[in-house]
Amino acid sequence: MAAQRLLELHAVNKSFGGLACISELDLHVNEGEIVSVIGPNGAGKTTLFNLITGVYAPDDGEILLDGKSLVGLEPHEVTNRGVARTFQTLRLFLNMTVRENVMAVQYGKTKSTVFEAMLRLPRSRREERQIRKRAEEKLSFFGQRLVGYRWDQPAYSLSYANRRRLEIARAMATEPRILLLDEPAAGMNPAETHEITELIGQLRKEGGYTILVIEHDMHVVEGISDRVVALDHGVKIAEGSFDAVATDPRVIEAYLGLRKAETK
Amino acid sequence: MNWSLFWDLTVSGVTLGSVYALVALGYSMVYGILKLLNFAHGDVYMIGAFMGWFALHWLGGPVNPSVTAGLVVVFMFVFAMLACGGLGVVIERFAYRPLRNAPRIAPLISALGVSFFLQNSALLLFGANFRDYDTFDLIGAKTYNYKDIFLSVPQILTIVSAIGLMVGLTLLVARTKIGKAMRATSFDREAASMMGIDVDRVIASTFFIGSALAGAAGVMFGLVFGQIYHFMGFLAGLKGFTAAVIGGIGSIPGAMLGGLLVGLAESYATGYLPQGSTFQNLYVFALLIAIIIIRPQGLLGKADVNKV
Amino acid sequence: MADDVTQPRIGVDEWVASVEGKRERYRGPVGWLRRGWDSSPPAARLLVFVVPAVIFPFVTSEGNLFRYGLITLLYALLGLGLNVTVGFAGLLDLGYIAFFGFGAYTYGYVASAHANHHWPAELAIPLAIAVAAAVGFIVGFPSRRLVGDYLAIVTLFFGQAFVVFVNNANRINFWPFNHTDLTGGANGLDNIDPLNVFGWKVNTTKEFYLFTLGAFLLVMIVLYFVSESRTGRAWKALREDPLAAEVMSMPVNRLKLMAFVFGAGIAGFAGAIYGSVQTGAFPGDYDIGLLITIYAIVILGGAGSLAGVIVGALIVNGVPELLRDSNQAEWLFYTALVILVLAKVRPWQKLVVVVGGTLGLGFALHAIADAWFPRWTAGQPNDGKLAHWVSHWMVLPSHATQLANWAYVLTIALILVLTLLHGWWRTIVFIPTIYVAAFAWENLLVENTAGATRFLLLGALLVVLMNVRPQGLFGTARVEIV
Repeated sequence: MAAQRLLELHAVNKSFGGLACISELDLHVNEGEIVSVIGPNGAGKTTLFNLITGVYAPDDGEILLDGKSLVGLEPHEVTNRGVARTFQTLRLFLNMTVRENVMAVQYGKTKSTVFEAMLRLPRSRREERQIRKRAEEKLSFFGQRLVGYRWDQPAYSLSYANRRRLEIARAMATEPRILLLDEPAAGMNPAETHEITELIGQLRKEGGYTILVIEHDMHVVEGISDRVVALDHGVKIAEGSFDAVATDPRVIEAYLGLRKAETK
Repeated sequence: MNWSLFWDLTVSGVTLGSVYALVALGYSMVYGILKLLNFAHGDVYMIGAFMGWFALHWLGGPVNPSVTAGLVVVFMFVFAMLACGGLGVVIERFAYRPLRNAPRIAPLISALGVSFFLQNSALLLFGANFRDYDTFDLIGAKTYNYKDIFLSVPQILTIVSAIGLMVGLTLLVARTKIGKAMRATSFDREAASMMGIDVDRVIASTFFIGSALAGAAGVMFGLVFGQIYHFMGFLAGLKGFTAAVIGGIGSIPGAMLGGLLVGLAESYATGYLPQGSTFQNLYVFALLIAIIIIRPQGLLGKADVNKV
Repeated sequence: MADDVTQPRIGVDEWVASVEGKRERYRGPVGWLRRGWDSSPPAARLLVFVVPAVIFPFVTSEGNLFRYGLITLLYALLGLGLNVTVGFAGLLDLGYIAFFGFGAYTYGYVASAHANHHWPAELAIPLAIAVAAAVGFIVGFPSRRLVGDYLAIVTLFFGQAFVVFVNNANRINFWPFNHTDLTGGANGLDNIDPLNVFGWKVNTTKEFYLFTLGAFLLVMIVLYFVSESRTGRAWKALREDPLAAEVMSMPVNRLKLMAFVFGAGIAGFAGAIYGSVQTGAFPGDYDIGLLITIYAIVILGGAGSLAGVIVGALIVNGVPELLRDSNQAEWLFYTALVILVLAKVRPWQKLVVVVGGTLGLGFALHAIADAWFPRWTAGQPNDGKLAHWVSHWMVLPSHATQLANWAYVLTIALILVLTLLHGWWRTIVFIPTIYVAAFAWENLLVENTAGATRFLLLGALLVVLMNVRPQGLFGTARVEIV
């Protein structure tokens, strides 16, 4: 393959109390690619994100970013290597302002110590200005949706859709190389869903991010994906273009449960 | 090896351990269900000790009780347990229930406030002096022995009734309807309430049972060690906590095991470690730290899985 | 739908609207003050405190300056440190007072006749801070990976262990201490030197006050800078959601430990000053009572709010000091009662019923008791005009101990019942509650204002605050979405 592989998973296993959540998973995301992960509930999609970001350690297997292993790193170290994510169940810092949310996550990008902050030494002041500028930059990406007057409001006062946008802005502010989006369109109305689809395209075009996205909404998946990976019970059952995966009998079976006659 | 010293320490360790285990059970049960450290629990235990004392004196005092000594002791236990159980329910209803959906730190601070309130109310009502159970007057100073192992009557009473209460609790949790409801609630409160379990009632019952056990522990302490005072709940509460954490907080057998271990550790420290009678508490503290470092979930606890 | 023309504002859904509806609305003079406060710059806010604080020592007596000024400042300084640990980072540190003690003992050890060192304060205070912070690091380190609950237990036990240690550290006969007398045991360290800061001998109350004021302002400004820095924001973030913070590039464990150590260092600073103010460090000073006092300060002021610490310290230290004098205590109690009734009983019909009913009930009971049970009015009222007036309304039995104890229990029960009632029932139960409370106050509580009463009120304050206004006076209401 000509393209540079940015994120690679080799034979990753993870089980909880004997129950395998992810088994022998191989996955890769190329530089500049948008890959969607689909699969029924409980297929291990969010576990996959937790493994990549270091929230869980894999039982065995290898996870590489740009050829360097991420296994064994603390989550904040993984983020500093250039992986940022959003959460399916929104986890904003609700009682901080919108701007503070985006400022706080630049912790890993800055260096000044608490002693420098105590005395407001030059480096600390310089970094403060940078943090603020970068935060405003990222928020401006969402244009009308997260405009200036909202920046000083607490995050809890945002609407659901705007909280999703803020989560993305927050992830962007860690300056990642790859963005992991966990169901960015969940709970959104059709107009907002449409907007999110466009936004993800923009993220790649203007932001230059490589994106791995978990999504249930097939319209979104169809609209954004270069490549789709389908999971079921922690096993990769199909991979390829949207059309190929969507028509793959194993995928249909996983969703509709024809053979096992169960819907979950 | 001086076996007679060893057995003395073991007996007093097991006695103390029984008291700690009963206190630890209350912490553990409440933690299991509400994920709340009930700081006021130690003070409920203190109130229990005082209730036992009052019960004793309503029945004519230790020297001339109006009924037989055995009945007096039974009445002391029953009264203290009921009073403490009620107190526990009241505390839960007014200090914790309104905070069930508040940030995690809010009920903890409320618990701290309740603890301090109870302590100083006791100081106000009962005074700063020690009160004496005068157990020897009530049930005599007879001891029984098997070879080198000497047991006094209050010690036997404590160990036997502690075992009885723990067996009772285990059966209650394993066999009865309310026990099942408790387990369900501690597993997943929301799901339990959707399945038609009256969660408020289950939590209130948990507080009742836990506090009643603390009340019994208070009476036991009074019977074995004689003197009670308004500040006694603090240290006992601390040891109870430690026991619950060592055994694995949230686990009922863990609390029993932890209590026993803390009691024995304290007792052996007194006898064997340098200046043990002065620094026994520091040795128990060291044990706590060691357990937290080596096995943070406690001896019988299960490690938590982070749900994201 | 967000694009619906009937909704002019982008991004407002039902939930947001409901939150905005629920958000506190300020009206009237209070609202005006509040908005003024919120919109003024930090420096101006600081002046509101600094100007009266600087004038205070020149207009008051030595005794009042010590009781209301210096001690309040020391408590406030302690509150600032606890505010970092509890307020910013959300860690429940129950061994906080031990760090205060470490500061005092360290200062005492290097600046007293005890070990015959007489270090100047510019060396001794940084040492005290460093020792307290280092101990904080050692205590915090094993608990760093654990949830807040374990930290609470470890620190609570640590606070107790500290007291045991200083009480007995003069006669430890094993390694590594081998009879070195570090702490003076139960007698503590005495004759601690006054502060000697670059040659300035801080000796009188006024000098101590001014020095502590300077120290407090310094810490406050430094903390303000920190709270507006990457570290401060990271603390707030991990209080909100530790997992999200960790995944978003913040090393949560290290930050927690840092907050813990930071708080310990500030406590050590306060401890050094306190040791020198007291000219001694005694084991009994570092008990759970002080811990609760400082918690009450931080919580009342509003966890996370720097301005709140000042107001919290003023109230939590000032009110019990006023209570010490039984005449003042009388005034304070009845004023508080009247304010409570005026503020809580609405509309005016109910107010009339409550006031009339309470007065009527009192005079009626008094008359009945006077006529048939003379013993019930044979007690002596306390000194002071108000107590004398009250004795016409309130029955004061001789030998009231037993009865007053029951009245106290009944008061608590009635107050609890009151919280469950609504409408007219509440109004009616209000009347006997006030009377029984006043009875318990006159016959029991007022005699113990220096000890138990003061502390049980603090305990009750914490519970009530958590239930009624968990954000305290100056905090902003926090929202959690489950």
